[in-house]
Amino acid sequence: MISLKGQVMETLLSGDFICKTTDELAFQFLQNSENFAELERQLNMMNRTIANANDGEVLFCAYQVIDEGERKVVGQKFREITASLLPLVEWLVLVQEAKGDNAPLSEGKVVRLNELQSVIEDTPAFSEQLAKIAKYSLFNSTSSTVDAQLKLVFKRLTELGYLLRPNPDNQIFLATGKVDYLFEVIRFIDDSENLNLAKQAEEAIKQGDLL
Amino acid sequence: MSHPLQVAGNKFLKALAKHADVIMKTYLSGRVNELDFDGKVLDKLINLGVLWRPEPGEDLRLRSSIRGLLENNLRDERNRQLDANIGTKLAAIKTVTSHYKEALHHQNYAESEVYMEDLTEQVYGLVDSLKSSVRNLWRRIHNEFGYVASINAKIRENELAQSQLTEMREQLEMFQFDQLAAIAGSSRELRRLLVVHLQRSHSEISQELTMAQSKLIDLLGKFREYLHRSQLLKGFVLHQQQKPDHQIKDYSAAHNVPTLFNIAKAMIKPANIDVNNIEHERLFADIVSHIKQVRHANVGNNEHRKAQGFDVNDIESIDIESNIIKVAVENYFCQIIDSGVQLSALEYHQQQQLDINPEVWVYGVINGFQGLSSEEQDFFEIGTQGHVHPSFSGNFIIEDVALGLR
Repeated sequence: MISLKGQVMETLLSGDFICKTTDELAFQFLQNSENFAELERQLNMMNRTIANANDGEVLFCAYQVIDEGERKVVGQKFREITASLLPLVEWLVLVQEAKGDNAPLSEGKVVRLNELQSVIEDTPAFSEQLAKIAKYSLFNSTSSTVDAQLKLVFKRLTELGYLLRPNPDNQIFLATGKVDYLFEVIRFIDDSENLNLAKQAEEAIKQGDLL
Repeated sequence: MSHPLQVAGNKFLKALAKHADVIMKTYLSGRVNELDFDGKVLDKLINLGVLWRPEPGEDLRLRSSIRGLLENNLRDERNRQLDANIGTKLAAIKTVTSHYKEALHHQNYAESEVYMEDLTEQVYGLVDSLKSSVRNLWRRIHNEFGYVASINAKIRENELAQSQLTEMREQLEMFQFDQLAAIAGSSRELRRLLVVHLQRSHSEISQELTMAQSKLIDLLGKFREYLHRSQLLKGFVLHQQQKPDHQIKDYSAAHNVPTLFNIAKAMIKPANIDVNNIEHERLFADIVSHIKQVRHANVGNNEHRKAQGFDVNDIESIDIESNIIKVAVENYFCQIIDSGVQLSALEYHQQQQLDINPEVWVYGVINGFQGLSSEEQDFFEIGTQGHVHPSFSGNFIIEDVALGLR
């Protein structure tokens, strides 16, 4: 049997994110400074280190030193992230609006696919938005029904690690820490490029023409 | 309690019970629709002080004391008022205490007992109003101000709750226990009420308030975070709409890659199977037993077993190359018909100098005759010429056939 430490190591080395929702045991394991140090030492042998986002709520594996080869990988990952940013953001907005929530999805929140589907089917604006989102290459849907589009989007998001389906028998999904990571990325881009996204949104709300 | 007071109270409560539907409708809608109810009932309720008209021409409304009673009892979220007027209540308590002490001093025990009752009521009432205020606060915290929809409204509600809480804390500071202790003096009952009970409640309530305050601040932070996140998302979408050609800087090319974008490649791939590992033997056997049987021998046949396509067009005309013998036989028959003269097959063979083996020719003629339909056969007469087999009786060897018209 593989030990918990081995499991955590495997998760990290397979490029997955660890948060309380995806793997509580692994997350707690890494909260222990001794365990953390030991794992870190072993990862360092492979030029890896444990990185975190969202104030330590999400953990993932990063390079310790970035040289030519690593830079290529990091560059590719970066392009993947930025390319999927807009579809993901639009999806988050859609989910928030369809659910009528005050807050966007964040780690540990529940999304019930059936409820979401009925709201989207009843609201033409949402169905249109969904169709637009599903056509992005990230999801690449060719279907024209809400049902198929939504299922595909959720399937892809589960594959990408943004959602978790604790019970394969029902259509209830949990948002993982990777969603919070996404916010962190947007915030970072916002800060470093001085986009003032929040201000733009606020002004748009004032003008009443948002979305 | 005096008798008339009890009667009046009973009457009032009965009136409330009797007109419960009017009162509840008013409570829920905020005002009375005067056309819906009997004018007499409304007048009665006005006289009892349940309903009132704030301004002439305005709708009737529920009196705040009734409203407060219902809100408290129904734990309604709309109740956001906190009764923080502790100062006056404390003053009342102090006054009644003085009355009580004076009565005791004059050895007027009956009167002192009434004052004691009054004092107990005042103290318990004060503690109860404080506790219900705290409960009220917690109720709002627990459902995260669910009674308002937008996040901005929640933030405002939170700020209101915080200001109420601060006010309550200020009021709580008005409890001066040294003063109360001095007033209570050496009287055991007064000390129990004014010092022990009040102090315990005071510390409980302060503790609750501290917790509520930290929770409120937490919530406010959370609301701001929600708001910020929502705005970030919407801002991002908006930004992309307005400047679709905006390229996000390539941070991975920067000298120091930000930690956020420093993601290592997934390096672990599934391991391979080690068939020599005895420990895994069972598992492998299990897997093998679950593999569906595949018959390789049949694989090649699959091509033939497939359904074949075929055309359903008209059949093309087929040219059958007529056999030489058949043509000759036909000609022979025709000649018999034309001439009407009997002619043996071998004679015709010689006549026409046919390049056919005579034996085959004779056989062909017999074959041709037998091949005709029975009606056609009736036109002809066929006679066989030959000899019986010398050694095997019953066998007749045909040497020639003669054909003629019947």
